[in-house]
Amino acid sequence: MRTSVIGIGLVALTVGVAAQAAGQGLIFDARRIGMGGLSLGRSASLVRYNAAYGAVPEAADRRGRPRVTIPIPLGLIQFLHDHPHLSTDPAFHPDSAGFNPILAVNTLLNLPIYLEVKKAPTPTNDVVFGIGKDSLRVNLGAAAQLVPEDQFGFGGSSRLLNPGFGIKGVRVSVLGWLHYDLGVQLNDKLLAFLRDSVEAQPRTGYGVFGNGIAEGGFAPTVSYAGRVAGDSSTGLYLGGALHYYLGAAYARSSISAGFTTGDSIFTGPNPVTPHDSGLTSYSKPGNALGHGVGGDVGIAWISGPIELGVGVNDIGATLTWSDTRQDSVFYRDSTFSKPFRNHVSTTTKLPVSYVANVTYTVGKTTLGADVLNAGRGATVHVGGEQRIGLIALRGGIARDQRKRIEFGWGGGVRLGALGLDVGFWTHTNSLSNERGVTMATSFSIY
Amino acid sequence: MRAKWLRMTWLAGLAVGCGKGEAIFNVNVYSFLPAAQDTVPYFIPPNTPSADTGSVAQRIDLPGVGSSVVDSIRIFGTLDLYNQSGTGTIGLQLFMAADSLGTYTASNAVLTVTPKTVSGSPPVPVADTVQGQLLSSANPLFTRRQVWVRVAAEGSNSSLTTPVIGRMVLTTLRLSAFINDKFF
Repeated sequence: MRTSVIGIGLVALTVGVAAQAAGQGLIFDARRIGMGGLSLGRSASLVRYNAAYGAVPEAADRRGRPRVTIPIPLGLIQFLHDHPHLSTDPAFHPDSAGFNPILAVNTLLNLPIYLEVKKAPTPTNDVVFGIGKDSLRVNLGAAAQLVPEDQFGFGGSSRLLNPGFGIKGVRVSVLGWLHYDLGVQLNDKLLAFLRDSVEAQPRTGYGVFGNGIAEGGFAPTVSYAGRVAGDSSTGLYLGGALHYYLGAAYARSSISAGFTTGDSIFTGPNPVTPHDSGLTSYSKPGNALGHGVGGDVGIAWISGPIELGVGVNDIGATLTWSDTRQDSVFYRDSTFSKPFRNHVSTTTKLPVSYVANVTYTVGKTTLGADVLNAGRGATVHVGGEQRIGLIALRGGIARDQRKRIEFGWGGGVRLGALGLDVGFWTHTNSLSNERGVTMATSFSIY
Repeated sequence: MRAKWLRMTWLAGLAVGCGKGEAIFNVNVYSFLPAAQDTVPYFIPPNTPSADTGSVAQRIDLPGVGSSVVDSIRIFGTLDLYNQSGTGTIGLQLFMAADSLGTYTASNAVLTVTPKTVSGSPPVPVADTVQGQLLSSANPLFTRRQVWVRVAAEGSNSSLTTPVIGRMVLTTLRLSAFINDKFF
């Protein structure tokens, strides 16, 4: 009992903080990091999530977007210096006496691409285990605040490629799409045991409920993006796309897993009984394709120094999979699965994602904000850039999917076609409640 | 599988309470004692400088912390001495070993409490407090998944004629093991 629930807790904790990492996303541009993750110009999320931006000319982009951005992975250099023999480094091998779980988890959650100038301090409080003949209590101290109370996870939808051709704003293409989502929630008993230090109870189930889905395929698409009013300096742009989704494969699983305590915590022939039950549905590649229809809409308005945009994607995108196999998953000495139903029809739904952005440029100052929801909570970025001669100063603030506030600041220097940028960004995706600070550096070619 | 989960427990504790913090295992030894085993009857014959009468060994289940290092183990307990006859000294002695038989070996005494003087048959029991740090030989035992303990009454009787007879009743007995992992 005492082993199992805490083991589950560790997994929950790790996935929980991983979710934070995923929520903030990976950014390789020091300019964006310096503005708290804000996207300016025709880059990143704007074109991806706003169908109208396909028609907004580059000339309307006053921020001077570089043609190429090359990250300088100082963190990777430092990491390889510290761990020159990674494959044999005992700190990363669970079977080694020198295994360091904190280092391993933190390395996973904070990929050492950029330099960690301030490491988030790990909890230093004592962990107290209270053990009696028929009782077990764990007090994690301040670290208990790291145990997530709500459902946590990560997910989103991606569009991989979109080759095609277009004439006068109308474009015919085939885009690749991918949707993934993983959610985990501790049940009330396990949450109380880990977070509130409630004593373990006999004949009680401790566990987690998890559900996940991964699906992908391609979608023949007809889209339109064009200016419907105004000119290149002041104009209204509309965009829309109609997708016929063809799903190549998918897998979805809902599982409840954990342990049930026996009649007493430590005594008796069966102190704990593992339990594991759930349903897995999948359609392998080669089975019948999933089918569905959905669409995107977007609008952008450019008026002198102001730029506004709203985009909504995958509206009504429900796929029907006509040849699905369903397996039940259960525990009996070990985990088994057996066929439940085969060749049945199931449906999946792509999450509706949206972006809203505003940019204001006056002189050498650019301010902007955006809200992006890719299916699992909104992220908000607010930031700006002030150019002074060859130098640019940047700052920003962000709220990630878990509603944590992060700060960004930085600067850069541009010499002709070359630029060097430095950005700092706080993060809380470590095993800590305190922020660390990452320093990103990148070259830009204009 | 059990060993794997035990290791997970330990890693979990480290993951959430890592750094310079310690893992502290507060073990309520008293709760592991069967109903009658909290009482240790003693009988010390006349003219005996030292005698040991004790209970049977009792197994205690622990999480098992593998290769980790136990810094120290502290003990706190209370007991009552119900003396029936004779005059002498009585104190608690705690034995700890990896198996039950080992608790009967004199060298496995990890704590010997300064004896209290008892005399006659007082109307109220003589109360005693047990506290201190166990000998370091007990530390590695706490890294195991099981440890055996035995409580004994150790005493002396200088009288040439009257034996010291009574019973020692434990009312609380707790161990606190302080563990720092060598991983860090």
